[in-house]
Amino acid sequence: MLLPAIPEAAVWAIYLAPIASFVAITAWVRRSALWSGQLTIFAIALAWALSLWALDTSIGLDGEPSDFAPHLWFSLFDLHVELGIRLDGLSAVMIFVVTSVSLVVQIYSTGYMHGDGGYARYFAFMSLFTAAMLGLVMSSSLLQLFVHWELVGLTSYLLVGFWFHRPSAAAAAKKAFIVTRFGDFAFLVALVMIWVKTGTFDIGELNELAHGLSPAVLAGFTLGLLSGAAGKSAQFPLHFWLPDAMEGPTPVSSLIHSATMVAAGVYLLARFFPAIEAAPSEVSTTIAYIGAFTAIFAASMGVVMTDIKRVLAYSTISQLGYMVMAIGLGGYVAAVFHLFTHAFFKSLLFQGSGSVNHATHTFDMRRMGGLRTVMPITFWTFVIGSLSLAGVVPLAGFWSKDEILLDAWKHNRLLFGVGVATAGLTALYMFRAIFLTFFGEYRGGEPPEHGHSGPPHESPSSMWAPLVILSVPALTFGFWAFADFGGFVEGAIDPSLRHFEGVKTESVVLVASLAAAFGGIGLAAAIYYYGTPAADLLRSRFRPLHALVARKYFVDEVAEGAVVRYALHRGGGRLLSLFDTYLVDGVVNGVGRGMRRLGDGLRRVETGQLQAYTSLYFLGLVIAVLALLVFGSDLLER
Amino acid sequence: MLTVFLFLPAAGALMVALLPRERSHEAKWVALAFSALAFLTSIAVFLRFDRDAVGYQFVDRFEWIRAGTAGFSIQYVVGVDGLSAALVLLLGLLTVVSVLISWNIEARTKEYFAYLLLLETAVAGVFVSLDLIQFFLFWELELVPMYLLISIWGSGRKEYSAMKFLLYTLAGSAFMLVGFLMLGFAAGTFDIAALTAQPPTEALVPLSLIFWAIMLAFLVKLPVFPVHTWLPDAHTDAPTAVSVMLAGVLLKMGGYGILRIALPILPNEARDFRVALAALAAVSVIYGAIVTLQQKDLKRLIAYSSVSHMGYVLLGVSAMGALGLSGAALQMFTHGAITGLLFVMVGLVYDRTHTREISEMSGLIHRMPLIGTVMLVAGLASLGLPGMAGFVAELTTFLGTLEAHPAATIAGIFGVVLSAGYILWMVERVFHGPPTERWAGLTDATAWWERTAMAALVLVILAVGIYPALLTETIAAGVAPIAQIVGAA
Repeated sequence: MLLPAIPEAAVWAIYLAPIASFVAITAWVRRSALWSGQLTIFAIALAWALSLWALDTSIGLDGEPSDFAPHLWFSLFDLHVELGIRLDGLSAVMIFVVTSVSLVVQIYSTGYMHGDGGYARYFAFMSLFTAAMLGLVMSSSLLQLFVHWELVGLTSYLLVGFWFHRPSAAAAAKKAFIVTRFGDFAFLVALVMIWVKTGTFDIGELNELAHGLSPAVLAGFTLGLLSGAAGKSAQFPLHFWLPDAMEGPTPVSSLIHSATMVAAGVYLLARFFPAIEAAPSEVSTTIAYIGAFTAIFAASMGVVMTDIKRVLAYSTISQLGYMVMAIGLGGYVAAVFHLFTHAFFKSLLFQGSGSVNHATHTFDMRRMGGLRTVMPITFWTFVIGSLSLAGVVPLAGFWSKDEILLDAWKHNRLLFGVGVATAGLTALYMFRAIFLTFFGEYRGGEPPEHGHSGPPHESPSSMWAPLVILSVPALTFGFWAFADFGGFVEGAIDPSLRHFEGVKTESVVLVASLAAAFGGIGLAAAIYYYGTPAADLLRSRFRPLHALVARKYFVDEVAEGAVVRYALHRGGGRLLSLFDTYLVDGVVNGVGRGMRRLGDGLRRVETGQLQAYTSLYFLGLVIAVLALLVFGSDLLER
Repeated sequence: MLTVFLFLPAAGALMVALLPRERSHEAKWVALAFSALAFLTSIAVFLRFDRDAVGYQFVDRFEWIRAGTAGFSIQYVVGVDGLSAALVLLLGLLTVVSVLISWNIEARTKEYFAYLLLLETAVAGVFVSLDLIQFFLFWELELVPMYLLISIWGSGRKEYSAMKFLLYTLAGSAFMLVGFLMLGFAAGTFDIAALTAQPPTEALVPLSLIFWAIMLAFLVKLPVFPVHTWLPDAHTDAPTAVSVMLAGVLLKMGGYGILRIALPILPNEARDFRVALAALAAVSVIYGAIVTLQQKDLKRLIAYSSVSHMGYVLLGVSAMGALGLSGAALQMFTHGAITGLLFVMVGLVYDRTHTREISEMSGLIHRMPLIGTVMLVAGLASLGLPGMAGFVAELTTFLGTLEAHPAATIAGIFGVVLSAGYILWMVERVFHGPPTERWAGLTDATAWWERTAMAALVLVILAVGIYPALLTETIAAGVAPIAQIVGAA
């Protein structure tokens, strides 16, 4: 601990600084757009500096929660909603990740978004996103977390649809929001239910109270969290919004859809890890299997994508699956550690793809090639990120992936096998991407939207400098494992659940994971560098399989086509709409018409003719007398 | 002070009507002045309302019709509790917005603004009356200006829609009057506070029949499935300002009636039928949302979304607990501001495009960035985004109802997902996409009255969303006694 303990106000300032820049840009700065980038960078740099202080303080406390008292937001009868900060090992790491990646991405954005008509709007949204994400990870209450959870969803919507004049971008934005909200439905039910059962939203209290709850309630609660996490972190079957979200500007993908927001689901599960552990074991098993299936399922699609950003998107889904699997296997530390390292190298890879796009104006790898020589910085940093992702020793990704595999080896050999196979696929698709993009002959790119196209060249310093900066964590951050990263993040959970014993590995795990990594790299080199066997040959040999994977296992078709279009829209919805118009409203109009007819009929009775009235009078009299005769005099006495 | 608030708009209406013909262009200024004064009065009522005191405040009372031999009398008595204080504020605000948004009205301006102001007095009368007969009179008075406003200044099948609105409400209120009379004769008083303190234990007909007779009028007004079909027609064909008033405050008369009259005076009956009410609410939420998804007309879409959203009010009521009732009351206020803003925005779009067909629009945000942005803000508020007013209301409702009605509450929460669907899909189709030739000539909202109307509502939506305590304490003060009555089994 180098500094005195951070005061609560300074932690709030981490959150408020980007909010201030959002408000300032929206209110004034947008008129002089260029300042909006500088202001955002300044605000987030401030937040980043403070996050180091927070991290320092938290390390001094061994990751145990700080004792900041919450503040009342509003209260109604039994409901007392409080806002507060929970600073512990887990949130301190997350705050550091969010501010660090965001800062680098903002610098990168000043280059990537240069000259865009919506420059100020872009930085306003980026500021808002950073604030919302920070609010999410530092919340002391579940409700406060949920509020920010929805706000990051909003900013993701705004940024995916940033170029809303493109119908594909507008559709992708809407899809991202609605699919994640579908996951949030069960999350919200869980949130409401747990308050009804416990009367509190406080995260620490909920984790403590978990043991006292009935298994059914706890299972419902944790499965609700899983549903929310599956939406946000793009886990099967709610994964299919994330690849489409690549319609957003690349720095957005780099920040939101790789490093931070999509990791929020994993964070949520880690945050409530004690509750998950207390829940019936089927919950953990479900979480582990969903994660493992997502990991290998998404990795398989990564192998066949031709769009470099989509390769990275599927890779992100797959790696998030890894983390979710780790949580399910009880590997809290492993999950958080992988989240931590992944944030940096995946952000690096996305920015690398953006740099390539800057040069070639395309994301289609079939139109790239040979960029190694003209873009050396992009190339080398991309290789570093890929090696880290593939899990090559001693880069950051190796250490964190190894811990997950170790947990799997200890608890579930089947999932260990899935994990190793996924690792092999990961190495394969990343190096496929590298060979297609950076090796061979340049295949022409695409003409830019404006201006003329020259030969590809390295990106400006505002873009390559961030790549260089991010390679450092991609190379080295794994070593934090040796400085008791595990013990630190375990400070956030109950002492009885802490079982991290320092960096260990098993030779089987080590051999399997490295074999998978080098095997994948070797296979990629064989096919995409040496051409034996040739990719085309393989494609035609396995045509049905390739088609199935390339069409993304038809999940989009099922979800959008069958569920949304037919069940909700064309079929059921149309039916209800017709029901509304013809039956519900028809009855109303029918009653109206009936009344008018009745009026017409009655008018005919009132003819004004004395004869008619008299005959009706006698008719009534006859009926009355008959009634008396039939029913007797009881009728009168009643 | 309430009497001033109540009759200030009526005085304004009279003054507008008496303007000489050649000065009829000044009608809108007079209307603005009077509605602004009324708004200031409503702010004063809200701010000076003592949240810790018990009972109605700012009470004015005098005997109106004395009928000694019949054993009862009809009085003029007004007063507010936390519930009506909030609604009075909403009414004051939305009337000013409605006047502003009518700035372009050209035809028969004098009559138009006179009716608009008269409408405010009528609705205000419903919110502050503490006598059943007086309540009923204002309830009926509201129909007159509404009918005329829709049938004269409306569009499309305006006569049909106006007549439908009128007949539907009249049919409901006929039952309500019967119910009121039965209650009044049974208890010997029409005073709401007295009836609440000592509810009648028996009447000419079973109390449950009276309960449903009264509820029918309120449910029609709210509206809930299956008595909702007047609403989309009335909205679609009404002029913008009338839609704002209709969605913003007139629907709240239904919810208010339930909270003020049906629940506290007939608590046992209300409790007996809580499951039925919850079921109606859940069906309204889901059914309304699914039908909303089908709409091709922008204004109809917002109108149907109201059916879904007002279902939450009934859902909150059906739990008969303090938190659920607070949720219902909050939802009334927030829905008023949010849907009011949505109708303002739809009106601004329609003023420019002269069509409401969603399929004909595309990429409008390129020409109208401000309108598009504010529409998005209103839409996000409507789909319950945290940080905006709607979320607090919906969350409170769910927290208050889950235990009593788990299935209905879960259905209600699913309605939130559907609302994201119809709102974002609408935004995508209307505002996003490439700019088109046809809409190249549109202009953004630049007039002061347009901007003021938008800014006022956005401000309220954000303020309540970010700092709900502005509203919750007053609401809690109003709800607590009602909850005590219906909650005590």
